[in-house]
Amino acid sequence: MISREEVLKLAELARLKVEEAEVESLQKDISSILAYVGQVSVVAGGNTSTTAEELPPALVRNIMRADTPRAGGDLMADKEEVLRSAFPTRVGDHNVVRKIIQKDE
Amino acid sequence: MSNLNELTIVEASKKLAAGEITSVQLTEACLSEIEKKNPSLNTFLEVFADAREQARVCDERRAAGESHPLLGIPLAIKDNILIEGRKVSAASKMLENYVASYDATAIQKLKIAGAVFIGRANMDEFAMGGSNENSAFGAAKNPHDPSRVTGGSSGGSAAAVAGHLALGALGSDTGGSVREPAAFCGIVGMKPTYGAVSRSGLMAMGSSLDQIGPLAKTVEDAQLIFETIRGKDSLDSTSIDAATYPARVAKKKIGVPRHLLKEGIEQDVLEHFEAALKKLESAGYALVDIELPSAPLALALYYIIMPAEASSNLARFDGVRYGLSLKGDSLIDDYAHSRKEGFGPEVRRRIMLGTYVLSAGYYDAYYGKAIAARKVLAEECARALQEVDAIVTPTTPSPAFTLGEKSDPLAMYLLDIFTVTANLTGNPALSVPMGTVARDGKELPVGIQLTVAHGDEPTLFSVGRELQ
Repeated sequence: MISREEVLKLAELARLKVEEAEVESLQKDISSILAYVGQVSVVAGGNTSTTAEELPPALVRNIMRADTPRAGGDLMADKEEVLRSAFPTRVGDHNVVRKIIQKDE
Repeated sequence: MSNLNELTIVEASKKLAAGEITSVQLTEACLSEIEKKNPSLNTFLEVFADAREQARVCDERRAAGESHPLLGIPLAIKDNILIEGRKVSAASKMLENYVASYDATAIQKLKIAGAVFIGRANMDEFAMGGSNENSAFGAAKNPHDPSRVTGGSSGGSAAAVAGHLALGALGSDTGGSVREPAAFCGIVGMKPTYGAVSRSGLMAMGSSLDQIGPLAKTVEDAQLIFETIRGKDSLDSTSIDAATYPARVAKKKIGVPRHLLKEGIEQDVLEHFEAALKKLESAGYALVDIELPSAPLALALYYIIMPAEASSNLARFDGVRYGLSLKGDSLIDDYAHSRKEGFGPEVRRRIMLGTYVLSAGYYDAYYGKAIAARKVLAEECARALQEVDAIVTPTTPSPAFTLGEKSDPLAMYLLDIFTVTANLTGNPALSVPMGTVARDGKELPVGIQLTVAHGDEPTLFSVGRELQ
């Protein structure tokens, strides 16, 4: 069973807060799911990172296009106001976010 | 005129074209059924207030000479598909008041055809679940027995069609989320070839797996919706056109992977499955035993790959630009707080699972192995489909269960045992009703699933029609 510390570490990596009361059930649920999906250990290979070339083309293809500016015809043209209206905290046209770079104290 | 809402799309379309009925009458019939049933079935998260007005505009378009088969047909739209200017929440507190800023490509195509959007259908939160019980706004109920689940994640879409609250619906299918609720509700549900329908405007869950698919009363209706929404789209680089895969010559053979049917399937479900096979035989198809040696691993692969992709896709919900935004002690705490309150337990569980299988030290053991096995599985299916037109299995091992019956997440995942393969391999698949089984005095529908080669939707529909 995965440990309490592992659950807390996973939550931190996943940017999730977990309640104290949830930790035990998460340990249990994640462990039982991992035990089930662990069946894949019988599969040969997979120990080196698989590249896109090894997959069937129907599943994974990289598709590139030139990075050219498109004037008009853009899906989001004239949508600035709609996007701004979704801001959680808006001042004028700005989205207010928390200050992350601070002077050394 | 009564019970217009019980017509199939093809029937309604003929009546509309002949001028026997109007879209307003058809839409009103659905709305009055919604008024009767939605309070108890919880099918729709929102019924669009302008549905009648949309129908009136469709009638005007017809009067002006337009004639698409979907013109004036009321459809339910799963709550993770964007319609510009309307709320779209993925049945999550995270997006409870979010308004779509553009139309999904599938929606745009339906608007051009002239479909009426009657409301946004309930679903499992962010399409994660097989019962619709993970909706942040309460489970949808099965019209055949309201004490039972609709299946999921497109549960509201399936119940809307089965309960005659809409004539058809759009859902999304990442591991069976169209086909499984279609089977539980006794209707037809289809997962197109990977890329056949643009995902622009569909909220992403597992990007190598997701497809938008139709839910309908008949195979013909599902085909009509699919033909309308399919097509290559510059806004989805994974989209393909009808000519991407070569046309195939019918072999009149159906493959049955009997090695997958030996255990875990309820006896009367299996009896219906055998009866459906007989039907195919009498329609001139030869039944062939096939082996898909990696298929028993499919569910394990799926529950590695899907959470890995979902945890990455859902990283965008951090409360900074849109959605639920809560304040904590620091920026990182803002994220964690917003995501804890915004996401329900199953979504958080899958995000953590995805984070685990992608983390250094476990990546090779889980994700690396899963990707390698996925390739093998895809090759096995491709090989089998060189010999046969379609592979058949039951859609689910059992009929709809009662609400709250499956509290263990793994028990819930096992429902997807037959459906995930098509998502992993990218093949198109269809669930068609194959009769009902009795449970606690109620007749509950079960479905048969057909899987065909990439791009071979014509065969999917033609074999599907034999099973109706």
